[in-house]
Amino acid sequence: MSFQEKNITVTLVNFTLILGFYLIRVFQMIQAGSFNSTNVFRLWGIIIALAIVVTIFATILTHIFSNIILAIKTKEEPHIEDIQDERDNLIDLRGTKVTYTASSIGVALSMLTFVFGQPPLVMFTLLIFFGVLAQIIGDISRLYLYRRGF
Amino acid sequence: MGKNRVKNNIRKLRFSRDEMTQQQLAEKVGVTRQTIIAMEQEKYSPSLELAFRIALVFGVPLVEVFSYDAEAEPA
Repeated sequence: MSFQEKNITVTLVNFTLILGFYLIRVFQMIQAGSFNSTNVFRLWGIIIALAIVVTIFATILTHIFSNIILAIKTKEEPHIEDIQDERDNLIDLRGTKVTYTASSIGVALSMLTFVFGQPPLVMFTLLIFFGVLAQIIGDISRLYLYRRGF
Repeated sequence: MGKNRVKNNIRKLRFSRDEMTQQQLAEKVGVTRQTIIAMEQEKYSPSLELAFRIALVFGVPLVEVFSYDAEAEPA
């Protein structure tokens, strides 16, 4: 697995876990009757902070541990191919395009809740759900392109 | 998925140059080994600049490394 693929995999796992955490917390709030703007926006803050902090640390730790394991296996200093070439840039662009498309569809679907007479809180809850989901879909498309070759 | 229209002789040229490895070629042209693999499998068409760099490494004109198959289905 290349350096870029490792990065994407780490981000994908993180965002999947974050999405799971978000859904569990939202359902807990609904069941407990505490689904209000204060709790929802606090959850927004937690999700954004988690997405940034956990992804940075998880990426760093993954590279450290994978290189240690590789060095133990091969008994040599691992060769880290961390350059980003034109193919990486193109795959990244395609992934970003998929993320933006999924995100745009998510925003439109979130807005549709107003049509069905739902309060703005539902729209904001769905907005972050689709935001994280779009990131996951983008990462899956990037991984697919790397596995396929391009 | 259609076949790539840009064909290449990179693998053949590597072997004719003292069996140059994919890693060695990648380092010489400044890309990752995965990109060389994708090009050899004709899954990725390089930019014009990268194509020239590869031709320079082998010391041959561009047309000896890359060719265009107009008959193939577009990728």
